[in-house]
Amino acid sequence: MSTKQLTFSKQESTLYMVFMHVTFVSLLIGGLMGLLQTLVRSGKYTLPFNIDYYTILTVHGVILGLVLTTFFIIGFQFSLLGKTVGISKKQLRAAWLSFWVMLVGTVMAAITILIGEASVLFTFYAPLQAHPAFYFGLAFVIIGSWIAAITNFRQLYVWKKANKGQKSPLLAFMVTINMAMWVIASLGVATAVLIQFIPWSLGYAETINVLLTRTLFWYFGHPLVYFWLLPAYMAWYAIIPKIIGGKLFSDSLARLAFILLLMFSIPVGFHHQLTEPGIDPTWKFIQVVLTFMVIIPSLMTAFSIFATFEITGRRKGYRGVFGWFRKLPWKDVRFLAPFIGMLAFIPGGAGGIINASHQMNSLIHNTIWVTGHFHLTAATTVILTFFGIAYWLIPHLTGRTLTAKLNRLGILQTIIWTVGMTIMSTSMHIQGLLGGPRRSNFSEYAGGEQVATWINYQLAQAIGGSILFIGIILMVYIFIQLAFFAPRGHEEYPIAEEESDALPTPKVLENWYLWVGLTIALILFAYTIPVIDIIKHSPPGSVPFSWPIGRS
Amino acid sequence: MMGKGKPSQKSASSFSLKGTFIAVMLLGVFILASWFGAYALFIAR
Repeated sequence: MSTKQLTFSKQESTLYMVFMHVTFVSLLIGGLMGLLQTLVRSGKYTLPFNIDYYTILTVHGVILGLVLTTFFIIGFQFSLLGKTVGISKKQLRAAWLSFWVMLVGTVMAAITILIGEASVLFTFYAPLQAHPAFYFGLAFVIIGSWIAAITNFRQLYVWKKANKGQKSPLLAFMVTINMAMWVIASLGVATAVLIQFIPWSLGYAETINVLLTRTLFWYFGHPLVYFWLLPAYMAWYAIIPKIIGGKLFSDSLARLAFILLLMFSIPVGFHHQLTEPGIDPTWKFIQVVLTFMVIIPSLMTAFSIFATFEITGRRKGYRGVFGWFRKLPWKDVRFLAPFIGMLAFIPGGAGGIINASHQMNSLIHNTIWVTGHFHLTAATTVILTFFGIAYWLIPHLTGRTLTAKLNRLGILQTIIWTVGMTIMSTSMHIQGLLGGPRRSNFSEYAGGEQVATWINYQLAQAIGGSILFIGIILMVYIFIQLAFFAPRGHEEYPIAEEESDALPTPKVLENWYLWVGLTIALILFAYTIPVIDIIKHSPPGSVPFSWPIGRS
Repeated sequence: MMGKGKPSQKSASSFSLKGTFIAVMLLGVFILASWFGAYALFIAR
């Protein structure tokens, strides 16, 4: 791995920071909506000013699931490429264009949601219909992200041309994998938005093929969660080792894991549609098997992380089977926050395997277990790693330092998040197993024994949600400090180096034609026949429903 | 920070990864226990 680090110009730092500003504004807005949801579902609180529950639910999902994540990831990835392969003036202009197109799209979608014209949740399932501006907004966000992707591809291409025969820096390779996956996957949702939703919402098409929209959404929706996760993996593989004073465990293993994630993250969307009528069970089964293939790179990652910790500890002289573990830098928030994220991925991943286990999915489908699951994976594993990155990235970009006091506040933030999420997510998992539904507003469902068992868990979720919101306020405070007020200085951009005696990385791991080709082949295999079947044999399409939620 | 004197310059492959092996196995056990727990519930219902 090339260890040469480039210095950011002022213009570069400004660009990467604007993405971070959108991220933390989103965190505050989206987090507040999450708090309100848990309070409403406790049955003890009613929203003021006639605000609709499904409006705040949509704001929460869209702002945190799509806006925060996409802006943070694209900003962070631009910084990774800027650090490892550089960015030209022309590429910088393209990066700004991507930012503005995404921001315009976000504002369009946000306004339509906030005025109650798009209470369709972040999955925007048809036949619920939103105002056309919502779908146009989404299209702009996707197009903006494609501009970012093309810029990223170009950045690596220019570097490769200037450094013929050299392997690309590991982090640049990882960013390219993530953006390749994003482009391939978002083609699905873009197709649904442009060809199905927009004409239908404008009234040009009377009906919509519901199953096709959902299939195209989940063709995108599952790789979307890997689009969130891979930047966290980038930090775990190539940044955390540096923070703990160690080296990269294996460049080849890291690249292979990313390639496997590219190949097996996309042709698996049916595991979100296991209870869906109209899809042949054989194809559901095939996609379940492909889903299980993702376990391999996930366990490779777990092995690699443990091995990095152990080798680093042993090199420093710590003995015993787990002596190295006790001596990890627990008081360094740049390590602690992502570490808690890694820990949360153990129950998160185990839960994911249960969700994807074909028939067993009926145990938890549409229950709040699923919400508990993705609050472990996305809202803990991914977000705490992103926070862990922010603690050094923000001061690096603003020319400030992470002081001992801010580090302590960061540790406190991590503890608050862990406590709040443990309470909220555990109660969601248990309530889900008791049949508690997800998505829905507070209801006593006209009484009933089973319903009576849910309320205490909903109260626990309100307590957990309130603790999490305190964590959000603290995180926003830390962000403001790091961005504007922390002492001037230099904060390290930690990138791990390879072992001096590391074996050379096989060239085949950088054969983009091979890996992207195999990815496309797997997608065609997993989707062609069922999609033809869906188009040919679907029931008549649905007229739009803008009531009871949607546009009311 | 982690640190106890000067770190050894020994090759990474010369260190025992016993702790890693046990940790990964425990991870596997956790996954299997969770899965079979959910499976038992599924069958019981």
